[in-house]
Amino acid sequence: MEEKYGGDVLAGPGGGGGLGPVDVPSARLTKYIVLLCLTKFLKAVGLFESYDLLKAVHIVQFIFILKLGTAFFMVLFQKPFSSGKSITKHQWIKIFKHAVAGCIISLLWFFGLTLCGPLRTLLLFEHSDIVVISLLSVLFTSSGGGPAKGGVLLLVLALCCKVGFHTASRKLSIDVGGAKRLQALSHLVSVLLLCPWVIVLSVTTESKVESWFSLIMPFTTVIFFVMILDFYVDSVCSVKMEVSKCARYGSFPIFISALLFGNFWTHPITDQLRAMNKAAHQESTEHVLSGGVVVSAVFFILSANILSSPSKRGQKGTLVGYSPEGTPLYNFMGDAFQHSSQSIPRFIKESLKQILEENDSRQIFYFLCLNLLFTFVELFYGVLTNSLGLISDGFHMLFDCSALVMGLFAALMSRWKATRIFSYGYGRIEILSGFINGLFLMVIAFFVFMESVARLIDPPELDTHMLTPVSVGGLIVNLIGICAFSHAHNHNHGASQGSCHSSDHSHSHHMHGHSDHGHGHSHGSAGRGMNANMRGVFLHVLADTLGSIGVIVSTVLIEQFGWFIADPLCSLFIAVLIFLSVVPLIKDACQVLLLRLPPEYEKELHVALEKIQKIEGLISYRDPHFWRHSASVVAGTVHIQVTSDVLEQRIVQQVTGILKDAGVNNLTIQVEKEAYFQHMSGLSTGFHDVLAMTKQMESMKYYKDGTYIM
Amino acid sequence: MGTIHLFRKPQRSFFGKLFQEFRLVAADRRSWKILLFGVINLTCTGFLLMWCSSTNSIALTAYTYLTIFDLFSLITCLISYWVMMRKPNPVYSFGFERLEVLAVFASTVLAQLGALFILKESAERFLEQPEIHTGRLLVGTFVALSFNLFTMLSIRNKPFAYVSEAASTSWLQEHVADLSRSLCGIIPGLSSIFLPRMNPFVLIDLAGAFALCITYMLIEINNYFAVDTASAIAIALMTFGTMYPMSVYSGKVLLQTTPPHVIGQLDKLIREVSTLDGVLEVRNEHFWTLGFGSLAGSVHVRIRRDANEQMVLAHVTNRLYTLVSTLTVQIFKDDWIRPALLSGPVAANVLNFSDHHIIPMPSLKGTDDSNPVTSTPAKPSSPPPEFSFNTPGKHVSPVILLNTQTRPSGLGLNHGHTPYSSSLLNQGLGVPGIGATQGFRTGFTNMPSRYGTNNRIGQPKP
Repeated sequence: MEEKYGGDVLAGPGGGGGLGPVDVPSARLTKYIVLLCLTKFLKAVGLFESYDLLKAVHIVQFIFILKLGTAFFMVLFQKPFSSGKSITKHQWIKIFKHAVAGCIISLLWFFGLTLCGPLRTLLLFEHSDIVVISLLSVLFTSSGGGPAKGGVLLLVLALCCKVGFHTASRKLSIDVGGAKRLQALSHLVSVLLLCPWVIVLSVTTESKVESWFSLIMPFTTVIFFVMILDFYVDSVCSVKMEVSKCARYGSFPIFISALLFGNFWTHPITDQLRAMNKAAHQESTEHVLSGGVVVSAVFFILSANILSSPSKRGQKGTLVGYSPEGTPLYNFMGDAFQHSSQSIPRFIKESLKQILEENDSRQIFYFLCLNLLFTFVELFYGVLTNSLGLISDGFHMLFDCSALVMGLFAALMSRWKATRIFSYGYGRIEILSGFINGLFLMVIAFFVFMESVARLIDPPELDTHMLTPVSVGGLIVNLIGICAFSHAHNHNHGASQGSCHSSDHSHSHHMHGHSDHGHGHSHGSAGRGMNANMRGVFLHVLADTLGSIGVIVSTVLIEQFGWFIADPLCSLFIAVLIFLSVVPLIKDACQVLLLRLPPEYEKELHVALEKIQKIEGLISYRDPHFWRHSASVVAGTVHIQVTSDVLEQRIVQQVTGILKDAGVNNLTIQVEKEAYFQHMSGLSTGFHDVLAMTKQMESMKYYKDGTYIM
Repeated sequence: MGTIHLFRKPQRSFFGKLFQEFRLVAADRRSWKILLFGVINLTCTGFLLMWCSSTNSIALTAYTYLTIFDLFSLITCLISYWVMMRKPNPVYSFGFERLEVLAVFASTVLAQLGALFILKESAERFLEQPEIHTGRLLVGTFVALSFNLFTMLSIRNKPFAYVSEAASTSWLQEHVADLSRSLCGIIPGLSSIFLPRMNPFVLIDLAGAFALCITYMLIEINNYFAVDTASAIAIALMTFGTMYPMSVYSGKVLLQTTPPHVIGQLDKLIREVSTLDGVLEVRNEHFWTLGFGSLAGSVHVRIRRDANEQMVLAHVTNRLYTLVSTLTVQIFKDDWIRPALLSGPVAANVLNFSDHHIIPMPSLKGTDDSNPVTSTPAKPSSPPPEFSFNTPGKHVSPVILLNTQTRPSGLGLNHGHTPYSSSLLNQGLGVPGIGATQGFRTGFTNMPSRYGTNNRIGQPKP
C-alpha cells in the first residue's frame, strides 16, 4: 500500500512529461528491465502451458482453479484483512463489481486462447494499457491476420475491456489501499463467485481429466507465471520506470518468446518444459507459424515500440496555452478534452450535463436520442428481415440526424465564453448553423425534386407493403419532435428573451459601468425567430414530417387506386414546400451574416439617430453601423462630431442612453471634435490618410458653418 | 408559415431587382467571359448528369458535383464583380464585401453537403451494388476534367484564389506536397513545378479524374463494380478535405472573429496604445474582418481623468489605423462628472515628438490656412496641473463643468505645423514634474515590455 502511494508520487513527475531531467540513469534500471523480460518470457511459457491445460480442463474450472490459487497466494502475501485500513461496505460493493468484471475478462481471454491458440493470444492480448490507449487515440486499427476470426474479435474485445477495466480500477485501488490488496480481495471474491458455477459444472458434466493430481504441477506454474509473478513484477517495474518505457520493454520479449514458442512448442526440445506430457507427438498444426503471423508479430512489436514512445501530447497542450492567441483555437474538441481531466467518460458526462442545462440543447438532444433509437430499430429490423428499403431508410434517417447533431453542437457552443478570437462570444455560431441547416434543406429539396422529376418521366413500380408501418413510425417520431420544438419555439423565446436580457444587462454593466441608467426594454418582440439554429432544426423536423406524410398519402393512393404517378407528385410537392419554408430562414440568416441593419430595429434606430442629432452641442454623426451579432447581441458603432465646447463623456452618456433604448447593447461611440482632425492630420503619415482626413474636415466645416449660423 | 407571408411582399419586385442588378454586372466586359463559361458549364453539367444516369456510376456523379461547384464559383466571381460596383447603403452599412465571403462559404458548404449525400448514397450502394456501364464513363471524366481545368485556369476568381491562399492547407494538398517533396529529392529539376503550393481545386480535379480512370480500368478488366462506390467515397472525402479548410476560413470571417494571423500585430499595437500617456486601460477590443482582408474593429479606451480625450483619440486612431481600416474608438473616463480641474497641459506631451519632426506635411498647410481657428487644446496660459488622479471627490458638486478648452483663436497658429509641435514642446518642458516621466514613457513605446508597462493588456479581456 505504501509502495503504491510512493509509486504514484514517483510516477507523477515521470509520467507528467519532461518537467526536468527526471530520467533515472539507465544502469539502475537494467535489473528491472531484465526482471521484466524474464517475467514476460515466463508468462509466455505459462500461457502456452495453459493452452495445453485448457484442452483437458473446462474453461470455467480452469479459471476457478487459477483464481483460487492466485487468491490463496495473494492473500498469503498481502494479508489484506489484517493490514491496512478497514474496508467499508461501499468499497466491498465496488470490489465485488471489480471481481465480476475481472471474471468476465478472464473468461473472454481464456476462451479466446482456446480459439486462437497461445501465439495469437499473446500477440493480441499482451499489450500494455498505455499502448492500447495510444493505439485507440490514434485510431490505428490493426487487424491481426489469424484464421480464427471470432477468437480474434473476442480477444480484441477482451483487450479493450481489460484496458477500460484497469483504468476504472485505478481509482478504486487507491480507495481500497493499493492495487495489490485490491487484487487479492478481488481474486478472492471472484473465487467465491465462480464457485457455484464450477460446482454445477462438475456435477453435470463428466470431466475429461484422468487424474487431477497430475495437473497440480502445471496449474501451479500457470498460476505463478501468468498471474502472480507477472502482476508483481509489472507493478514494481511501473513504479520504478516510466510506464511507457515499461510497456516498450515488456512487449518486446513477450512477442519474441511467443514466436519462439510458437515454433518450438511441439518440438522435442521443449518437451522437458512441458509439464503435461502428451503421449505422442502428433503432428499438430496448432502451433504452426504462418508467414502472416510472423509478419504481424513483427509489426506488433514495431507498433508497440512506436506507440509506447512517450507522447508529446501533453507538452503540446501547454504550448498551445502559451501561444499568442491565449487559447487553443483550432480544435474545439481538443480544447474540451484538455479541460476535462483526460478521462473520456467524465468528458461525456460533463458535456451531457452542459447539454441538459439549457432548454434548446436539451430538446435537440432528446429528440436526437429518439431519432437515433428509431433509426437503429429500423436498421436492426431491416437487417433482420433483410429488407433493403428499411436499411436505406435507416441510412436516410442517419443522414438527417447529422443536421440535428450540428444543431446540438451549435447550441452547445453558443454558450461558450468569449475569447480573444471570438471577441463577441460564440453566439453567432447559432446563426451560422441555422444557415448551414437551411442550405442542407435546400440540397435535400433539390435532390428530392430531381428524383421526383426523374420518376415523373419514368414512374417505377413500387413495393408498398413495407412502407406504411415505417413511415407511420417516422411520422410519430417527427410529430413528437414538432410538438417539442414548436413548444420550445414559443416558450423558448420567452425564456431566452429573459435570459438574454439578464446577460445583456450584466454585459453592458460590465462595459459601461460608469454610465448607469435604465436599460430600455423596448425590444419586446424583437427576438422573434431570431434563434436561427432552432429554426433550422425545426424546419428539418418539419421537412421529415412532410416526407412521412407524403409517403403515407402516396402509399394510400397507390394501394387504393393504383396511381403510381402519385408518388413523384407527392415528392415534388414536398420538395417545393421544403424549399419555400427554408427561404425565409436563409434570407434572415444571410441578412445577419451580411451585417444588415436589424430589420426589427430599423424604425427604432432611425428614431434614435434623429434624436441623437438633436442633442445639444452635436454637429453630426457619421458611419453609423448597427448589426445583429447573435440572438442576444446587437452591436453598434457610431462616430459623432461635436462642437469643441461640450464634454465628450456627457455626449457619450446621452448617445448611449438613446441607443440602448433602441435596443443596441454593444456600443462603441467615438466622439470627435475639431481638435481630433487637427491631431490626426498632424499625425498621419500617409498621403491617403491625410487626404481622407482633409475630406472629413471639409465635411466638418460644412456642418460647422451650419452651427455658426445657428 | 407566417414567415413566408412576410416574405411575399418584397418578392414581387425581387426578380425585377435581380434582373436589374444582373444587367448592371453584365455591363462589365469582364463578366461576359464568366457568363459564357457559366452557359458552357450548364450544358456540360446537363450532359454529365445524363451520362451519370446512363452509366449508373456514383463516382461520376460525385465528380459531376465538382462541376456544379465550379458553377457556384463562377457565380461567386460574378458576385465579387457586383460587390465592387456597389456602395454601402444605410441598411447594409458595411457595404457588400461580405457577400463575397458568404458566397464562398455557401458554395463550399454546398459542395460538402453534396459530398455527404454521395457518402449516404454509397453507403446504400454497398448493400446492393448495381451494375455500372462503362460506356460514357471515361468520356464524361475527360469532359468534366478538361472543362474544370479550363475554368480554373482561365478565369481569375478573386475570392476563391484569396481563400485558397489564406486558408490552411487541406490534407490532400499536404499529401501531395509530401509526395512532391520526396520526388524533388530524386529529381531536383522538378522543384519549380511541384514545390509551390498546389491549387486545391486543380488538385482535386486531377485526383478525381485519376480515381475515375482507375474505376474504369477495374470495371473493364474484371467487372469489379464495387470500386465505383469506393472511388465515389474517395472523391467525396477528397471534396471534404479540400472544401473544409476554406469553409472554416470563410465561416470564421462570417462569425466576426479576429483572424489569427493578425493577432500578433494587433497585440503589439494595443500594447503601444496602452503605453500612450493618459491611457489607463484598453478593453472590449473587437476586431474582425469585414470582407477578405480589410479589418474592422472597435475598442474602448479608459483614460485618466486629466487626459485630453481628443489627443488620446487621435493617437489611438493613428496607431490602429495602420491595421484596422474601419475603426471606432470610444474614450471614457471614470468619474468624469467631477469638475475637471485640469486640462491639456499634462496630456499635451502625449505626442511623440519624433513623429512630428519627421513628417513633412505639404498638404496640411492649405487646410490649416482655411480654418485658422484650429488648434491644439494646449494652452500656455492654463493653470499648472494638480494631482488628482483617482481621488474621488465626493464632496464636490457635479454641476461645475469648467470649460478649459476655449478657442485659442488669437494665438496665431495659422502658419503650418511648426508652431503646433513647438508649442507642444513647450508644454512638455513647461511641466517638468509629471511631464518628464511621461515623455520618457512614451518615448520608448517600441519596447514596452522591457518596462513592464504592457501588463495591463497582457490578458484577454472578457
